Amino acid sequence: MAEPMVQLKGVRKSFGKLEVLKGVDLGVGKGEVICSLGPSGSGKSTLLRCVNLLAPPEEGEIFLEGRDICKGPGSGTGESSWNLDFVRQRVGMVFQQFNLFPHKTALQNVTLAPQRVLGKSKAESEEKGRALLQRVGLGDRLGQYPETLSGGQQQRVAIARALAMEPHVMLFDEVTSALDPELVKEVLDTMRELAQEGMTMLVVTHEIGFAREVGDQVVFMDGGVVVEQGEPKQVLDSPREERTQRFLGLVLER
Amino acid sequence: MNVFFEQYFDFHIMGEHFGQVFEAFLQNLLIFVVAGIVALVWGLVLALLRQSPGKKLLPFRVLTIAYIDVLRAIPLLVIILIISGGVPFLTFIPKGVRIPEWFGEPDPFWYGVAALVFVYGAYMAEVYRAGIEAVPRGQMEAARSLGMSHLQAMRHIVVPQAVTKIPAPMLNEFISLLKDTTLVSFIAFGESTLVSREILAEQLNSSALILTAFFFLVICLPGARLVDYLIKRNQSRITRGSHIEVA
Repeated sequence: MAEPMVQLKGVRKSFGKLEVLKGVDLGVGKGEVICSLGPSGSGKSTLLRCVNLLAPPEEGEIFLEGRDICKGPGSGTGESSWNLDFVRQRVGMVFQQFNLFPHKTALQNVTLAPQRVLGKSKAESEEKGRALLQRVGLGDRLGQYPETLSGGQQQRVAIARALAMEPHVMLFDEVTSALDPELVKEVLDTMRELAQEGMTMLVVTHEIGFAREVGDQVVFMDGGVVVEQGEPKQVLDSPREERTQRFLGLVLER
Repeated sequence: MNVFFEQYFDFHIMGEHFGQVFEAFLQNLLIFVVAGIVALVWGLVLALLRQSPGKKLLPFRVLTIAYIDVLRAIPLLVIILIISGGVPFLTFIPKGVRIPEWFGEPDPFWYGVAALVFVYGAYMAEVYRAGIEAVPRGQMEAARSLGMSHLQAMRHIVVPQAVTKIPAPMLNEFISLLKDTTLVSFIAFGESTLVSREILAEQLNSSALILTAFFFLVICLPGARLVDYLIKRNQSRITRGSHIEVA
């Protein structure tokens, strides 16, 4: 594996009495694309939320660029700026429901955090924002509000918004699941380009084709644990575990 | 029936005292404006305290919720009397604060404003809360994932969206607030109700009170219509927006 970027060791997370992650170990090397598959409720999304501390784990360790982000003053509460600043300036996230800011234009969505969090000037952040929206193919939509954009366009704005913070790792949480089928490709293409440029990516997806083509590793999760992990070819074509076989059988049958 | 009209609609008495009642009504409006603006800010502060995150701020949340519940449970008139009856004697408070006579207004004016702000701040906090809770959770998550602090996310993302969802209920609070300014008459502040009651006592005729009622109608009726209009507009917005959410 390349130089480790994100490393999870024995990560556990519960919501009330429901234990969603039951001890997850996972490593993401620099520049790697890890695709996580699994049935709904398997803990894939929670895993991503642990990595950027939206849902801090109760147990276990998460190393980001070598630093244990679950330790230190106020850790676990989700409100200690000691780790939060470190994490959120390095980890970008894209959501299933886009979560664009509806009262801001596409460009403002992209420039808000750089201005408010990184303290960049309006001119500087807008120049960067324009370039980023250009890069995701939306250079002509700068002044439009999210509700006037298609789902695919909104999701690409969301990707540009996350990239504006110059993250070292990008988390993608089922980013094509809420899209009409004909809009999925444009978002996957954007992600593919990002992967080719060497971005470290942790992708929760149901797009088997994408995982096979772009993923360096495929992780199959079920019931809060990693059931199987390996090269896409191996996991997708000749899964060792019975649970993986059953899941892939159901998905590929469609 | 003549007796009825003479008692309530004696235009001679109305005309004679029109200027006096109108000027007193302007005092109601003045209390309304001052208390309304301060309560709007105080309510937002309370709502934000109530929504504050983390374990460390739990005491603030509990205190805020207690404040909001208690102040909404006590009759406004009782609060007005508690403040005006007791605060002047709290000698540990500087005289200029305990017996305020700011901007040429007498102390009952300020006791009334304070009581209205304390109580309507609590009501408005609940309106803000409804607005804040109507903003999808994902908005806060997206803002936080971009590195914004809880307060930054509130300020730039959540609150601007929340306030667009609450003009109708907030306007309702303002209509109530305007009407409740009449309660300040109980502590001898010369607003329209007090003035018309004095006329009633002098002339044994209620026409001045009807005049006061008329002034309130002129302001509050269009307000009520506006509330209805805002609710309708908001609903059509929701129906228009819904397909976009899913797309």
